[in-house]
Amino acid sequence: MDTHTHIVRLERVSKIYHQGKIAVHAVDNLDLEIDVGDFCTLCGPSGSGKTTVLNMIGGLDVPTSGHIYLEDRKLATLNRSQLSRLRRDRIGFVFQAYNLIPVMTAYENAEFVLRLQGQPETQCRERVMAILKEVGLEGLEHRRPDEMSGGQQQRVAIARAIVTNPAVVLADEPTANVDSVTAGALLDLMQKLNEENNITFLFSTHDQRVMDRARRLIRLRDGKIEYDDVRSLPG
Amino acid sequence: MRLMTLAARNVVRNWRRSIVTTGAMAFAAAIMILFASLMAGLLRDSERNAVTMNLGDLQIHASGYRDDPDLYKRIDDAQQLVARLQQQGFHASQRLYGFGLAAAGTTSAGVQLRGVDIDNENSVTQMHRHLVAGEWLTETDPHGVIIGRKLARSLGVRTGDEIIFVGQASDGSMANDLYRVRGILKSIGEEVDRAGLFMTLDAFRQLMVLPDGAHEIAVLRANPDSDLDLALHTVTALAPGYETLDWRQLSPVVARILEMADVQTIVMVIITYIAVATIVLNAMLMSVFERIQEFGVMKAVGVTPWQIFGLVYLETLWQTATAATGGSVIGYAIAVYYQTHGIDLSNIASSASFGGIALDPLWRAYITADSIVIPVLFLFLIAGLAVIYPALKAALIRPVSAIHHR
Repeated sequence: MDTHTHIVRLERVSKIYHQGKIAVHAVDNLDLEIDVGDFCTLCGPSGSGKTTVLNMIGGLDVPTSGHIYLEDRKLATLNRSQLSRLRRDRIGFVFQAYNLIPVMTAYENAEFVLRLQGQPETQCRERVMAILKEVGLEGLEHRRPDEMSGGQQQRVAIARAIVTNPAVVLADEPTANVDSVTAGALLDLMQKLNEENNITFLFSTHDQRVMDRARRLIRLRDGKIEYDDVRSLPG
Repeated sequence: MRLMTLAARNVVRNWRRSIVTTGAMAFAAAIMILFASLMAGLLRDSERNAVTMNLGDLQIHASGYRDDPDLYKRIDDAQQLVARLQQQGFHASQRLYGFGLAAAGTTSAGVQLRGVDIDNENSVTQMHRHLVAGEWLTETDPHGVIIGRKLARSLGVRTGDEIIFVGQASDGSMANDLYRVRGILKSIGEEVDRAGLFMTLDAFRQLMVLPDGAHEIAVLRANPDSDLDLALHTVTALAPGYETLDWRQLSPVVARILEMADVQTIVMVIITYIAVATIVLNAMLMSVFERIQEFGVMKAVGVTPWQIFGLVYLETLWQTATAATGGSVIGYAIAVYYQTHGIDLSNIASSASFGGIALDPLWRAYITADSIVIPVLFLFLIAGLAVIYPALKAALIRPVSAIHHR
């Protein structure tokens, strides 16, 4: 198997939750590869396993069986600290509820991961200001989350996710809490980042607007792939 | 942003809770600094009083005298021994003891007669400055005596009143004479207060027919900071055949209390801080539970469990450092006030004693490095212990469940 173009690879991954005495197969023997530069959406009804897949790829959750590889690194072999460093350096997260750190400004939220990496302040400043400009937040860098709209907060979250040049950005329902105009603008932004910077995006969503933009649409049902459609979209 | 800055902002974020937590820690630190200073003052006064009011640093007796204070068990060459001690740089004074009955009007009381070498005694003890009424002994008034305050009360006498002493002289004859109360002592210690009757050494010798020798030689180091054990060794060598003891052996209760003083202070600090620890634990647990989702996100973006642990610790460190600074300033200021003005206990008790040693009714604090450092160090230690559980809780949060926590 050629692994060079696959940034993420899942081999026979299953995730079983136990609700009382009942075992729930959230993900069932899933094989999946995500290529470098993909703009890919996991969709499906509630409980189909899309968020679970995203969490397992991000190392936030562990599969019951099977193996997950990120850039050919087997996640199961990493301890907590190694997983933290992997997330810090190679994965960007965008959450439904923005999840910015409330005591930090937009600039500091975006800068946070770079500082965790130990990058010098001047280098961070240059990078963060460029990213904030790219996501359309120039001039708002000193605002705290409670001083920004939902759309602006999600832009900060996107800036935080991409500031380290991650291998993949995992976005869980990124448009769920914003109006349609803002959702459109956010998707424009992410699409632009994908096309211009070749950043891989993997979404989990119900939102038709996100699905319409995806170049690859993977539909899950009961933890299995129902269909996997690679599309060629205009523009 | 550095974790240190983030921790500081998190502290300010819920400022009401932080003020309550920090305030409680600062209050406890201030109280403990004051308590430690007052204890240091009490112990210092106790030691000083024990030495300078009566005992001296060292005492020399004839062998067996302390167990059986017999009029005939004397230091025969007392005069020469005092001279030798003074040559070696010590202050030394002879004392004579006898027992008998003192009477004034229709009242009588058993007394311990004390003959003191007034020239030398003043360099060994401060008793001559510790009079509540009248004046100290003088050679020009051989029938003037000083008595303890409780003895004065029980005999119903004041300065200028006459008392009669009756006892048995060394030659078996009746020793009796009329004396005038020249002065009344402040509280020195239970024994002196209740039964002490002081007269000059010559008056004692004449009354009790004891032409020479002494029952006791009290010795004081010229330099109070010099080594007491070395002084004991030196004096023992200068007084062969006699029993030489230092004040710790002469007053073991006070010595033991002083030895245990630091332990007592630490125990008190720990007990008080346990209450503080519950406040810190409660506050930090609330703070962690309120931010579970935030910790989940932090872990998701790459913050390690140790960094989360460190963040919660730093938040407590900020609060503890603020509390320690504020508590130290407040505690120090109050301690300085009580070091200068003292706490007047005279309204509560006319005489206070500690281990049988009389204390000045004005209880003064005494600020030492330990009285500030120990409460502050223990504040950090206790806060550090209290925050382990909340910090671990935050560090070990599973990000996947924390992110979706509501």
